[in-house]
Amino acid sequence: MYFLSGWPKRLLCAPRSPAEAPLHVQSDPRRAFFAVLAPARLSIWYSRPSVLIVTYKEPAKSSTQFGSYKQAEWRPDSTMIAVSTANGYILFFHITSSRGDKYLYEPVYPKGSPQMKGIPHFKEEHCAPALNLEMKKILDLQAPIMSLQSVLEDLLVATSDGLLHLIHWEGMTNGRKAINLSTVPFSVDLQSSRVGSFLGFADVHIKDMEYCATLDGFAVVFNDGKVGFITPVSSRFTAEQLHGVWPQDVIDGTCVAVNNKYRLMAFGCASGCVQVYTIDNTTGAMLLSHKLELTAKQYPDIWNKTGAVKLIRWSPDNSAVIVTWEYGGLSLWSVFGAQLICTLGGDFAYRSDGTKKDPLKINSMSWGAEGYHLWVISGLGSQHTQIETDLRSTVKEPSILLFQFIKSVLTVNPCMSNQEQVLLQGEDRLYLNCGEASQAQNPKYSSARAERMPRHEKSPFADGGLEAPGLSTLLGHRHWHVVQISSTYLESNWPIRFSAIDKLGQNIAVAGKFGFAHYSLLTKKWKLFGNITQEQNMIVTGGLAWWDDFMVLACYNLSDCQEELRIYLRTSNLDNAFAHVTKAPMETLLLSVFRDMVVVFRADCSICLYSIERKSDGSNTTASVQVLQEVSMSRYIPHPFLVVSVTLTSVSTENGISLKMPQQARDAESIMLNLAGQLIMMQRDRSGPQIREKDSHPNQRKLLPFCPPVVLAQSVENVWTTCRANKQKRHLLEALWLSCGGAGMKVWLPLFPRDHRKPHSFLSQRIMLPFHINIYPLAVLFEDALVLGAVNDTLLYDSLYTRSSAREQLEVLFPFCVVERTSQIYLHHILRQLLVRNLGEQALLLAQSCAALPYFPHVLELMLHEVLEEEATSREPIPDPLLPTVAKFITEFPLFLQTVVHCARKTEYALWNYLFAAVGNPKDLFEECLMAQDLDTAASYLIILQNMEVPAVSRQHATLLFNTALEQGKWDLCRHMIRFLKAIGSGESETPPSTPTSQEPSSSGGFEFFRNRSISLSQSAENVPPGKFGLQKTLSMPTGPSGKRWSKDSECAENMYIDMMLWRHARRLLEEVRLKDLGCFAAQLGFELISWLCKERTRAARVDNFVVALKRLHKDFLWPLPIIPASSISSPFKNGKCRAVGEQMLKSQSADPFITPEMDAGISNIQRSQSWLSNIGPTHRDTDRASSPGPQMQDAFLSPLSNKGDECSIGSATDLTESSSVVDGDWTMVDENFSTLSLTQSELEHISMELASKGPHKSQVQLRYLLHIFMEAGCLDWCVVIGLILRESSVVSQLLGIAQSSEMDGEMLQNIKSGLQAVDRWASTDCPGYKPFLNIIKPQLQKLSEITEELVQPDTFQPVTVGKTPEQTSPRAEENRGSCSHGSISQSEPGSNNVVSRKEEDTTQADEEEPLQDGAYDCSVS
Amino acid sequence: MIEVVAELSRGPVFLAGEALECVVTVTNPLPPTATSASSEALAWASAQIHCQFHASESRVALPPPDSSQPDVQPDSQTVFLPHRGERGQCILSTPPKILFCDLRLDPGESKSYSYSEVLPTEGPPSFRGQSVKYVYKLTIGCQRVNSPITLLRVPLRVLVLTGLQDVHFPQDEAVAPSSPFLEEDDSGKKDSWLAELAGERLMAATSCRSLHLYNISDGRGKVGTFGIFKSVYRLGEDVVGTLNLGEGTVACLQFSVSLQTEERVQPEYQRRRGTGVAPSVSHVTHARHQESCLHTTRTSFSLPIPLCSTPGFCTAIVSLKWRLHFEFVTSREPGLVLLPPLEQPEPATWTGPEQVPVDTFSWDLPIKVLPTSPTLVSYAAPGPSTSSITI
Repeated sequence: MYFLSGWPKRLLCAPRSPAEAPLHVQSDPRRAFFAVLAPARLSIWYSRPSVLIVTYKEPAKSSTQFGSYKQAEWRPDSTMIAVSTANGYILFFHITSSRGDKYLYEPVYPKGSPQMKGIPHFKEEHCAPALNLEMKKILDLQAPIMSLQSVLEDLLVATSDGLLHLIHWEGMTNGRKAINLSTVPFSVDLQSSRVGSFLGFADVHIKDMEYCATLDGFAVVFNDGKVGFITPVSSRFTAEQLHGVWPQDVIDGTCVAVNNKYRLMAFGCASGCVQVYTIDNTTGAMLLSHKLELTAKQYPDIWNKTGAVKLIRWSPDNSAVIVTWEYGGLSLWSVFGAQLICTLGGDFAYRSDGTKKDPLKINSMSWGAEGYHLWVISGLGSQHTQIETDLRSTVKEPSILLFQFIKSVLTVNPCMSNQEQVLLQGEDRLYLNCGEASQAQNPKYSSARAERMPRHEKSPFADGGLEAPGLSTLLGHRHWHVVQISSTYLESNWPIRFSAIDKLGQNIAVAGKFGFAHYSLLTKKWKLFGNITQEQNMIVTGGLAWWDDFMVLACYNLSDCQEELRIYLRTSNLDNAFAHVTKAPMETLLLSVFRDMVVVFRADCSICLYSIERKSDGSNTTASVQVLQEVSMSRYIPHPFLVVSVTLTSVSTENGISLKMPQQARDAESIMLNLAGQLIMMQRDRSGPQIREKDSHPNQRKLLPFCPPVVLAQSVENVWTTCRANKQKRHLLEALWLSCGGAGMKVWLPLFPRDHRKPHSFLSQRIMLPFHINIYPLAVLFEDALVLGAVNDTLLYDSLYTRSSAREQLEVLFPFCVVERTSQIYLHHILRQLLVRNLGEQALLLAQSCAALPYFPHVLELMLHEVLEEEATSREPIPDPLLPTVAKFITEFPLFLQTVVHCARKTEYALWNYLFAAVGNPKDLFEECLMAQDLDTAASYLIILQNMEVPAVSRQHATLLFNTALEQGKWDLCRHMIRFLKAIGSGESETPPSTPTSQEPSSSGGFEFFRNRSISLSQSAENVPPGKFGLQKTLSMPTGPSGKRWSKDSECAENMYIDMMLWRHARRLLEEVRLKDLGCFAAQLGFELISWLCKERTRAARVDNFVVALKRLHKDFLWPLPIIPASSISSPFKNGKCRAVGEQMLKSQSADPFITPEMDAGISNIQRSQSWLSNIGPTHRDTDRASSPGPQMQDAFLSPLSNKGDECSIGSATDLTESSSVVDGDWTMVDENFSTLSLTQSELEHISMELASKGPHKSQVQLRYLLHIFMEAGCLDWCVVIGLILRESSVVSQLLGIAQSSEMDGEMLQNIKSGLQAVDRWASTDCPGYKPFLNIIKPQLQKLSEITEELVQPDTFQPVTVGKTPEQTSPRAEENRGSCSHGSISQSEPGSNNVVSRKEEDTTQADEEEPLQDGAYDCSVS
Repeated sequence: MIEVVAELSRGPVFLAGEALECVVTVTNPLPPTATSASSEALAWASAQIHCQFHASESRVALPPPDSSQPDVQPDSQTVFLPHRGERGQCILSTPPKILFCDLRLDPGESKSYSYSEVLPTEGPPSFRGQSVKYVYKLTIGCQRVNSPITLLRVPLRVLVLTGLQDVHFPQDEAVAPSSPFLEEDDSGKKDSWLAELAGERLMAATSCRSLHLYNISDGRGKVGTFGIFKSVYRLGEDVVGTLNLGEGTVACLQFSVSLQTEERVQPEYQRRRGTGVAPSVSHVTHARHQESCLHTTRTSFSLPIPLCSTPGFCTAIVSLKWRLHFEFVTSREPGLVLLPPLEQPEPATWTGPEQVPVDTFSWDLPIKVLPTSPTLVSYAAPGPSTSSITI
């Protein structure tokens, strides 16, 4: 299709003078010359280069006699021009080229200049031919001339006295004939009456007319606004043999233009609309095809104020029409009425500051060669010229403008509709859409895209646009690949007529005036004929197409005067020597390729099928064609020029269900022929005797004849089919896609019986579904269910010109036009249409085949949304609403819940009731989401519930969701839910939310975001003296009596409510020993862990079963259970894949003195390892994991090793590769590898042994963090457990210190003691690896139990130390009072030592907490 | 037989500093029905990115190779050297990473490994010029036991946005939480952050429009006015310019605008004397607009900057600059008559002159070309995004 490009060009005009102002432009039939008329001047311009060749000025004397020039008409052979004048004269000018091929404006370069001198054809390409212009004859018709038309060898002139003069170009005077219009009978059709009514009154004359060759008659507009079509009954024009038909309803016609290819007559009307008529073949009546109208929706301020239609011009290839109005403006439409451009809106009509521009007024226009240019005479309407006083205003003055266009290759080379690329051709460049289309053919890519899509998660509460995620990445890519056509080729062969791209979108071929050239997008190089004579001796006539890496083209051989079909190989030199040439009997008009067949349409209305075959003998590869079948169509085709496209397709009315071999790739089943917009299908005739195809050789097999044609559709512009097959997407791939201009698109969809059941005999096997899309379709992506198109976009540059004198610059007057690629989903339209027609089963099959597409959710949503909007806003009650059907349809997909809620959230609240009446109660849907564990969707439903239900309900549901989210660790959702619950609370309260009082600095209670918490943590670490457990945190804890205060304030009540839930969750986590989850929970939600733990110290935060807790921690933190290396029975190297290196290591391990269970050795061990770590860097964590033993450990390595934060990627691979190679086992190989890193064997073994007993680094950090937290909160039993797992005796010593201090809880100590005993028992029986460590801490344990013993006795005594701890005012403190520790006991000697050491520890820990660095936690106790 | 396929899922184009991710799939292509005896083994596979530099002998005088550094290219075939057998020198390489070791594949079995590496920021962009070539490659080396190493080379294209390497990922550690339980997805964040920052910078640099007008005159008078709206462009954009010839006093028959790159060898590396010395400056035309404009008063052009071209850059050896190169063919005689005189004597027809003595003038306007989104560039590169080798 046609698109405006860039800015128009302005040509030089005579200096201002009324007699010199151009008013009319008319191109010659070949569009090489342009006649420009001024009131007293005729100028002939050349089109490329656009230069003035010759001009004739009417002398003043004769000018007054003739009146000003009005219109011009060329003789078909371009040797004469007839110019009509205002006073009824026709001036005949002879145009002769000068003798001896003279050229104008030939540049003469100074001597010695390296400029192109010797280039052949230089003058032809760069200079204009010299022409002589001579007035030969003057004809006086005595009446003002209304219209001039060149008809074959005659000139037809309509004058205002109601006469039609038929003037012969040569013998003007004697060949003259006049027909009086009043003698021509007019009727509604040709059948009804031979004798129609006559025009009746005398003063009717023709205002405008145009001859239509393919209809053989004139479309005329009368001065009274009536329009009609005059056709000769016999072959010659005489008054007696003329007959007219007219439509009754047009009475305000102003102008007319005919389209010869599509047999259309476009009548412009005074109302501003264009009515396009065609002729009914059978009755001869005029039928309205469509209208070209600006809609009120798109052009609210202009649509009915354009004035009358002034001019209509069909493009040279008849595929588009340009319309202008009295008021001004240009609009471009496709042949069947799809609007492409209109300059009455947008940037054309408004400046960037929002002010309105005067529309461009067009007095005359004419298309240039191949439609790349539009020559326009612009200026104010003639009536205004005098009024305009502003002489500086050059723009108001008539001038010649050249608009430039880019067009789709489909307009001239319809065989390109097999392709899935969008290819546009401009005057000197090609535009190709890059990217997806070629990938789309690869199913791997589309599936990859589909996978990538859903991962893109959106925040459930963020309001999303209509665009589904990922869709924009797929569709939004609008870049063009611009290929400049080789200037060498272009210079001698402008204009480019055909272009074609190969299947993969990697090679392009173009054909201009002569020859052709091709380009590879991979090498970025053009290939031209090596022999320029060969190029200049061929003219591509019937299009060109790619077949693999061959170019198939129909051409005319100028040297042999022979029509030919040629095949060239891309990879060989471009030379006729490498071409396969087949002579053709007739001119080929159209060509297309289907699999291994070439189909051509010839000027004798016959269709010829060729088979094409690759032949390679040695180095020489060629392809040859053989005639398969010839089908004469002359019975059905009135004129070969009317055929728009011919394609072979595998489409047939039967879907292959009844065929014998449905699995087989379908053959060329039918010919599709677009005859002037009428799509005709001819199927192979299978009714005759069947030939067993497999018996005969494929090349010699008799092809079945074709059935008589069937009309499938009207007003068809383009047809798309594919020869690919895909069992999964049969609906889409076997469908036939049509674009029908203003009527949108149509699809001829196959219907398949479900589960290969026998089809119902009454059920049609195909259905034609129309649907509307907003873009002009240029390519159909079959598998992707997408239509690609292009639209004009505009850029304003006027704001850059600030000088007022620049106001009339073209760049200010016009926006800069670019073409943008667009694409559109259409699936929802089709599904809906199927549902409307009760074909739900088919819709389901189709939808399921597309469910993997990334935008499939979007499709469902769009369908629901559109139906909802339509039916809910409809004024009248709908008898048979579709919404329930659509809703039921969507239920078939797992996306149902999501689709409904997304749709709801994008529609107004007012429509919700209607929607949910159809899809179900939102409460139920919410619960379904919860059941399906789709929390994000459930969250979306909450918004609905909040609006549709009472607050209590929504709060209840929110709570439900909140708890589930907490349980599943959906932290983002939790945070949103907290906000949501608070919002509900505050909305509920009647009074405005009160500000927190100053007494309650931390009124947010235990619920604070972690930033604050981390600050308070560091504070406590720094300021709080050891042993006080940071109990100042109680400030943030709601104390007993303060509970009443909470309830007063609704917001606080909400907070309280949320806190309760958080506490409950935390308690559960702790009770279930899910410390890791607890850590995540606290970190993600900013839960005040320490203060809460303080509160729960004796309740939930107690460790009931040390062994279970220990085991659970080992599991959760992927921490290996310690092993005793000496007992090689438990060695992992014994099982399975044991390698030499492993064995060695094992031996040395068992001999390693470090491993002996001695305390000092253990410590030095740690130190050693530390030093190693610092030496070799963290790489050896790989080693550590590698050698960490135990089959039960394998799980650990498979965990997501997402510790990307630390810089541990030396040498080996990244995390992903690491983990993947772990999957493959064989870690010993890695060990081998590491041994190359200049480590001695023993060192390596030592390190690996040491690290073997540790878990992942991250776990270590986390455990230490938890240890710190528990220590702060005084949950000593947990500290012990973590100390055990980390195997740090210092923890126990610290504990001892605390136990000896005053605040120690006796019960807790008791608990610790018994717990440790349990651990000891367990270690002895099940896990001997713990034994060494337990032995290390034995002395401390001994002390601990002593303290416990002591504590148990004073327990019965009166507590003394209550007053000493004023912070402990909480009820918990009262509970604990009974078991509170004795202050005096804490002063024992070893205890004080330990306190000191703990203090040190504490500070080091606090320091280390912040940087969080590797190895920083390896504290040593001396 | 083992098939190794490397796929760059995002396409082969990257911005320096971005993380590259390549999925390497090794497949035993035998059908699973084959006997177990045909299981195949690879000893190891390793991957590395390197930048190969090659200079044209006739244009660039490189200092003699550093002899103090021994040539480490040993005869042994067991050392992984990604640039083995390539011309020129390896100027940049990332540390090699091991993908797997001792891999055994049963018939029909296939395994995938992901290799990821951050492209170094300090290197030059990918460039194939007349004097020098900078070529980036991802090399995957595999070795079967007792066989030489096989190298699979995946070509890459690296775009460099200058100024980006100096920017560091904002370390918001100061305010960030320090709980080790918070998952840090730093690398991914950093990657998208980098792409975002690059996008922002490019946008800021190239979206600003302002009109620049240039009066064009030859020795005899004014030819016209050239207008351009930007001086900094991204790859893939169109250079749009306008030409106003209506106000000129000298007739212009023809003009051409070429979008060119100028590749210049830095003075210290220029080859001075000797036979066969090519010029140290070379020009490449990427797009060209030519027009006969004798009777044109206003025209415009738009030249696409090819996505496959290299944005301007500068290294120690060579610099690449973009420019618009104009050539005007102007009339040598001042008063070339293009239109008939107003007071035209009889006879009334007028024809233009057959020959016009002309001169040619050229003019260069430097412009800046910056990279664009690497994904966009990848889209424009047709062809497969996978490379494969069979060992």
